[in-house]
Amino acid sequence: MQNAKDSFYVALRTRLVAIDPSRTILLRGAVRPGIVVEEAEAPFSQLPNDVFILRWLVLGVDLDFPSAMAAEECEFVYQTCGTQSFGGLDRGRALSGMDEELLTILQPFYTPKLNYISQPPSAMLTGVFWDEPSFAPITVQRDRLTRTARVMVYSYREQGE
Amino acid sequence: MAANWYLAPAPVTRRIRAYFAPVNRAAQAPVLFDPSQQGAFSLDAPPSPWISLGWIQDFVRQPASRTSPVLTGIPASPLEQVRETLQAQVSFQFLSWTKLTMALATGSQHMNLLVPATGASAAADGAQAAAAVTVQAGSTASFVALTALEAANFAPGNIVALDVDYTGQTGYVGSPVSGAYVRAALTDVDYIRRVTFNVSLVSQVSSTGLTLAEPLPGGPPAAGVKLQAVTGFLDREGGSFYQEWSALFVIQGSQGERIFLYYPRLQSRSGAEETTLPLAGRQTGSLRRTLLKGQFLALPVTDPLDGERVLCYRSFLPAPNALI
Repeated sequence: MQNAKDSFYVALRTRLVAIDPSRTILLRGAVRPGIVVEEAEAPFSQLPNDVFILRWLVLGVDLDFPSAMAAEECEFVYQTCGTQSFGGLDRGRALSGMDEELLTILQPFYTPKLNYISQPPSAMLTGVFWDEPSFAPITVQRDRLTRTARVMVYSYREQGE
Repeated sequence: MAANWYLAPAPVTRRIRAYFAPVNRAAQAPVLFDPSQQGAFSLDAPPSPWISLGWIQDFVRQPASRTSPVLTGIPASPLEQVRETLQAQVSFQFLSWTKLTMALATGSQHMNLLVPATGASAAADGAQAAAAVTVQAGSTASFVALTALEAANFAPGNIVALDVDYTGQTGYVGSPVSGAYVRAALTDVDYIRRVTFNVSLVSQVSSTGLTLAEPLPGGPPAAGVKLQAVTGFLDREGGSFYQEWSALFVIQGSQGERIFLYYPRLQSRSGAEETTLPLAGRQTGSLRRTLLKGQFLALPVTDPLDGERVLCYRSFLPAPNALI
């Protein structure tokens, strides 16, 4: 299942770079695309603004089929205070922009599954696919707008996984 | 080189995509779909002459063929079974309103509402139309050449219909799709342009003609074709004409597998019908989406392979690496 999680993340990261290369984050001394997996980073004391934080939640497994299917719920958390040049008055627009970006990078709703343990990554036999996202209401904390969105990600377990 | 494999579960699908192609009514020739040669086509670019009608929902196909046992002995018990009738029905909802989806979802002729002539008397299916414009030489499927004087009467956003004048012919009329069957000669010179499927949206107007947003279904206009502006579309409950199309439904699985349902001949089997759907699952207001409901009867063709009469071909292209 880790291969599916890695493939999902890398696919979204690649798509984000293609549509908005300016959305980046400085993390551990390196400038990276603005989408990170929370469980693969040092704990955040405060979630960074203007970045997609990817968080894995529920796991379900269906063993009734010839190949077991795993369903893992992925939550995206993203927040913004707008930009300094507009005094934060554009925070609503900034959040709408991130909503749009998330919807864009989630399509198409599938990607090949790769094994990132090996270098270079090796293609596996099946693909990873996911459902349409469900967006939660905006939460407001002073001048910070935060949104979460959830997607169920599916994959088949292959031999050796 | 060895291939790895896995045991493929039942396909997981999200939606079904529909493609239609016109049956040549005069020659009774449906359009072929060969899954062995054409099965890998891009869903957004179907092979010619298939036309994508987008995603559909609530797709139901219902085999209605009846079989009956041949009984023998005392007490009687089945010895064989025979197929008494050959019949199948298909129904689904279109997720868009276009000329073609509207036509397919009606059981009769589908008409273009031509822009009326000034002072014309009212009529239920559109008043007498303004005079048609002759298409000039040099036109293509995406560009209609007109004189500067005539082009000035059009604007971007207009819908236009192109076809020949009606001159008293009977039988199937309309190109490239038979839009109606004329049993007795009519008097309306614009009748073929009323029923033609050769329509498109004007995206740009210049002094030399009209650039179209989509290519004309009939390709470059032939000599003698005329053009009229269209304000909308109309169909009627009743009549004796049945739309007949070849249909292809594609069910794409999550692992790249594909199921094709190919109906060589589908005829509308009911009158125009709409259904409504709440705009969103959690939405509690009164907004509803109005969808076209298509209901079809499958007609048989004789398969040249073995002479069997069949209604539908179902083909399956497995996912890469899936064990069969």
